Amino acid sequence: MSHNLSHNQDDTLIRMVNQIATNLSGASDEAQVVQGICKHLESFWARSMKQRLVACLDRDDAELSPLAQRAVVELAGRYRNGAQDSAQ
Amino acid sequence: MIEHFDPRQHAQDLGTPEPPQGPPVSLEIDGINVTVPAGTSLLRAASLAGIQIPKLCATDSLDAYGSCRLCAVQVTGKRGYPAACTTPVEAGMQVTTQNERLAKLRRNVMELYISDHPLDCLTCPANGDCELQDMAGAVGLREVRYGFEGENHLQAEQDHSNPYFSFDPSKCIVCSRCVRACEEVQGTFALTIDGRGFDSKVSVGPEQSFLASDCVSCGACVQACPTSTLMEKSVIEAGQPEHSVITTCAYCGVGCSFEAQMKGDQLVRMVPYKGGDANHGHSCVKGRFAFGYATHPDRLTSPMVRESIDQPWRQVSWQEAIEFAAQRLKAIQAKHGRESIGGITSSRCTNEETYLVQKLVRAAFGNNNTDTCARVCHSPTGYGLKTTLGESAGTQTFDSVMQADTILVIGANPTDAHPVFGSMMRRRLREGATLIVADPRRIDLLKTPHLQAAQHLPLRPGTNVALINALAHVVVTEGLEDHEFIAKRCDTAAYQAWRDFISDSRHSPEASEAITGVDAEAVRRAARSYATVGNGAIYYGLGVTEHSQGSSMVMGIANLAMATGNIGREGVGVNPLRGQNNVQGSCDMGSFPHELPGYQHVSNAEARGRFEAAWGVDLDDEPGLRIPNMFDAAIEGTFKALYVQGEDIAQSDPNTQHVEAALSSLECLIVQDIFLNETAKYAHVLLPGSSFLEKDGTFTNAERRINRVRQVMPPLADKADWEVTQELAQALGYPMNYRHPSEIMDEIASLTPSFAGVSYARLEALGSLQWPCNVEHPNGTPTMHEVDFPIGLGRFAITEYIATEERTSRRFPLLLTTGRILSQYNVGAQTRRTDNQHWHDEDVLELHPSDAEVRGVRDGDWLGITSRAGQTVLRARISERMQPGVVYTTFHHPGSGANVITTDNSDWATNCPEYKVTAVQVEKVSQPSAWQQRFSDFDRQQRHHLASAQQVSGKAISP
Repeated sequence: MSHNLSHNQDDTLIRMVNQIATNLSGASDEAQVVQGICKHLESFWARSMKQRLVACLDRDDAELSPLAQRAVVELAGRYRNGAQDSAQ
Repeated sequence: MIEHFDPRQHAQDLGTPEPPQGPPVSLEIDGINVTVPAGTSLLRAASLAGIQIPKLCATDSLDAYGSCRLCAVQVTGKRGYPAACTTPVEAGMQVTTQNERLAKLRRNVMELYISDHPLDCLTCPANGDCELQDMAGAVGLREVRYGFEGENHLQAEQDHSNPYFSFDPSKCIVCSRCVRACEEVQGTFALTIDGRGFDSKVSVGPEQSFLASDCVSCGACVQACPTSTLMEKSVIEAGQPEHSVITTCAYCGVGCSFEAQMKGDQLVRMVPYKGGDANHGHSCVKGRFAFGYATHPDRLTSPMVRESIDQPWRQVSWQEAIEFAAQRLKAIQAKHGRESIGGITSSRCTNEETYLVQKLVRAAFGNNNTDTCARVCHSPTGYGLKTTLGESAGTQTFDSVMQADTILVIGANPTDAHPVFGSMMRRRLREGATLIVADPRRIDLLKTPHLQAAQHLPLRPGTNVALINALAHVVVTEGLEDHEFIAKRCDTAAYQAWRDFISDSRHSPEASEAITGVDAEAVRRAARSYATVGNGAIYYGLGVTEHSQGSSMVMGIANLAMATGNIGREGVGVNPLRGQNNVQGSCDMGSFPHELPGYQHVSNAEARGRFEAAWGVDLDDEPGLRIPNMFDAAIEGTFKALYVQGEDIAQSDPNTQHVEAALSSLECLIVQDIFLNETAKYAHVLLPGSSFLEKDGTFTNAERRINRVRQVMPPLADKADWEVTQELAQALGYPMNYRHPSEIMDEIASLTPSFAGVSYARLEALGSLQWPCNVEHPNGTPTMHEVDFPIGLGRFAITEYIATEERTSRRFPLLLTTGRILSQYNVGAQTRRTDNQHWHDEDVLELHPSDAEVRGVRDGDWLGITSRAGQTVLRARISERMQPGVVYTTFHHPGSGANVITTDNSDWATNCPEYKVTAVQVEKVSQPSAWQQRFSDFDRQQRHHLASAQQVSGKAISP
């Protein structure tokens, strides 16, 4: 049986950030939640993953949850491709 | 002969255990003034004063028993001849240990023993290490007046069923040391004395052999035996060892100290070291006996390379292999960028070796793509405890459990996975501590003999957070909080926010019963016990971390401990039971992609600056890829090369087919291991590793204890692992020039504040050190957070229960959970190459009788287990340990494919895989799964590639 789970990188990253948003959404203040998601991504995700996630903002079909979307928009300033190059 | 045998611990047996601290008592023994703590036995007091009283049934690992009468003494003003082992000291006592009368008494006692004991000392396996022989000499036994004509035990039937030791009852003196060791030290109660008087004999139960009995082969009885009645087969074969080296076990996270008893460079036996601060002279079947893998013919002894994985291996020199690897890495980076390669450090290798691998990645590869197997076990512990308590480690010593009054065990199975600590916990439970187990399975701890009070919360897999929230809800709403602790030690705003959150009725046990399946009243009772019955201590394992909410659960545990003030002193705390020998150390040493050694974040300019100055390079300030991210990137084609030291990701990581696809996508996989493991079958460069017996270094156990690993034999392939990493760095143009692992530790200490006071000299002087060890804590830190937290105030965290996406359905109606068993270790690479195979030579699927019945499954049937990720086939074992609807297996054998079925669901914060929850269907089948058939073909092909290379070079190794 071949494995049938999706491993499209974009989908994986979107699923991950949505999961983070859901788990961090316990704080009462939404701005605080968005900050928390942002900080989590900054602290734990590789540069290439953040750049890729930010690039998903340009896709119409990216199913980011509302809080995740806000956090990724905040990240975009720093991680849109070219804003912080990965050294090649 | 006796001088020939010189293991250190046999030199110092004080006869009876050290009593609890008591006021000093002075007395006179043979005219010498002696002062010892109250409660000390005369036998121990004499021994401490250098006066050795003959003894047989007494040993300082067991309570005094007073049966052999050999330690009889005379006390002025008292009648008779009291046994020194059972007589406590009294102020002003005058004790005589040697005189004519006592000598005669002892000779008579010995004469009776010897009258029913074979006189074959010269050919006896214990010759040179026999307390009976020593005592016969000590009492001056010169004749035995009673012959062997009468009834005796000389022809008693021997039992050789256990693979590691023999039982020869003809040598037995019925001192009960073995029986008492099994009860007091191990806590299994497998042995007993059958019969009375002359008929008394040691028994493992009616008509049973040792192998068929409840015996768990911990070796405590063998160690306690004063004769050769219970004797290691390795000693029977090789004779007495002639020197010993103290080192640290390379199996689980308990980190037991052992004496490796040697004959030249041959390891004859491993004996648990009484001076070991983690194990105090106890051991389990793995550490004690399962060391044969180190000299197994499967060991890799020559470096090998190949262009692609469908080609045979080519044996090459070390230099050629290292050059080949370095050239490939450089070429890949030139073509695909600096971030296209990475490395995985080993939780089985030493701290020094782990440190070097992450240094290689950060300094020589020039990126932070380093990770370790903690990713798949305790990464949520790192995240959860750092967020709430400020440090990524357990708070206590193992010994702390002896001060605990309520022991809450969540998702851990200590008697199988951490057996030596499990024995200590059982001792505390026999003393009366209350046990609460939160686990889907009825683990063996709940069957502890003489358990006083136990509660089982059999929750559904995947509902941990709902349960911990319910426990905290009871604490808060029933007024069981420790307000003084919270006010003084915790952040008020975070506490208030958490208190508002947890007080909501949706977290009540009554509301969460529908989620967890645990009776609400049982949850209330457990919360009250934990919060109010003295010291409450929490122990947890992978049943907590390996979930989509692993990190939330760790934070929930920390919340509960803070709310009840169960932090910062002996007997309480939050205690992750770490899986592998050095998984704590591998995390401490900077293996994670976001943290430099000592959990210093890569974005911390001050910390990074220190490393940059010491290492002479600029370091990336962004985290690198974690293992699952590396796999995804490999499949996508942006990640091309991986250096893996001492890990078997192809077997241990979830969703095997995804891992296989990732490994097959790599252009260069460098595997450094002692065997051709599953990952190595996908490699292009194979670098032979060294076992823990072949190198110097340190391991850090689950209680943050840094223990020395000492070389007892030369590396089989000529190089210790740290030397190989160093040569690879040099070949990449990055200088590393360490001459000994102690120099690596010196560098670690200079860059890692929590290790600042650690050095080999300090470890030599103190035996072990628990970090933080620095100017403030020069002798280390047994208990964390006594005064404050590293982040100042403890931070309560909001832990909303979010159900996992992995749910049962009509198609997949059962939940699979995975775990370990006592005799095998992790992927089994080591234990499968020992006689531990006798106990577990295949992984099976345990299922409840009702689930079996509806599927027409009988014990031993072949079962196809299908999940959304894949299918495998295992044999059925019907077991009432399981709840209906939950099935269980282990992952010790690669062909079992346990991880073919586990999915790539993972913890939200750390990507730790959700091994513990997989929805599956089970049905009877007649042949292996398609994956197993492919695995079998690939395995055969790769073994052939290895054998061909070895034959070409003339270094044939058995298949």
